[in-house]
Amino acid sequence: MKLIRCLSAPLPLALVLLSMGSTAWAQDKAQAKIQASSIQILAVQSDEVKLPIEFQLALYENLIEQVQKANKFQHVYRDGDPAAASAANLVILHSNVYGFKQGSEGKRQVTTVTGATQIKVHCLFTDKAGKSELAQDVTGNVRFIGGNLRATYDFAKKVAQIAVTNVQ
Amino acid sequence: MKKLRAYTLLLAATVVSIGVGSLAAPCFAQDANTGNGKSFADTKQVIGLEGLKHNVKGTLVAENGSLVFTKGKKKVVVPAASIQEVMTGKDSERAIGGTVGTLTMFAPYGGGRFLSLFRAKIDTLSIEYLDPSGGKHGAIFTLPQGSALGAKKALLSQGAKSSFPVEMEAEAQAKAKEKKQ
Repeated sequence: MKLIRCLSAPLPLALVLLSMGSTAWAQDKAQAKIQASSIQILAVQSDEVKLPIEFQLALYENLIEQVQKANKFQHVYRDGDPAAASAANLVILHSNVYGFKQGSEGKRQVTTVTGATQIKVHCLFTDKAGKSELAQDVTGNVRFIGGNLRATYDFAKKVAQIAVTNVQ
Repeated sequence: MKKLRAYTLLLAATVVSIGVGSLAAPCFAQDANTGNGKSFADTKQVIGLEGLKHNVKGTLVAENGSLVFTKGKKKVVVPAASIQEVMTGKDSERAIGGTVGTLTMFAPYGGGRFLSLFRAKIDTLSIEYLDPSGGKHGAIFTLPQGSALGAKKALLSQGAKSSFPVEMEAEAQAKAKEKKQ
């Protein structure tokens, strides 16, 4: 009986500590979110790999389209738009391609398992001053259905999802 | 007598108007062919033109200092002077595409896969342009094989810019073709 009492005494304390810890962790997580009401998407760079221009443009256009569709920001500014300079709470998205494997639509359709196209992009969200807010590597793939450019759509959807979960 | 004179006058006027019309028609035709305009039918806008859905087929025209893409009643105009880069490329697509192409994948005995082997060669045309506020845009088109360089030439003649001249691009493509053979 005594043993049970001894064991049950620290149990409420442990529960309280556990709940305090979890709320503190949740608060930290909430604090880690980026405060932004508008975003500027810069043109996609490819310093490390040679990326065909159509992929570069498709990445950029799909990014803008998907971020607009996510409805997270009041304004989505394009690269070079001077209105972005005067926007409050602006976050800037830099994208740099560091890996690219051009597959083949024909191979994908005939063999199913080969011919995948893959684009690896390093995404960096910064504030106006250039201070890094969030950095993440995102991969766009097309494995079965669709042309090679569909990998850019896959990438853009993933980035829009990152924006939705990490921006307040 | 008066009636006859009136008929003759009417006839003469008709003949003159037909004559003028026939003279004017070739002039118009000349304008369309050798003048400013050059059109490329069966062009697919893959992505990038505002107000249009992805992968819509229409006509690309380079005329009056602009790139005009027309799909039915919809018309998108991009001033050629705002085009910063024009690049061409080569690609291929399924000969049987669209919904029918997708449905063939469910064909028995690998019929869909077999059909995937039939591919049509296409040209790609990518442009980078600025909107009136200075924002950067990109657009990608696919054209029937052998027409991308002509489209690039037409756009450059209208005032578009490119860091890669048409001649160099043609040479590079010819070399690539030789290498393949």
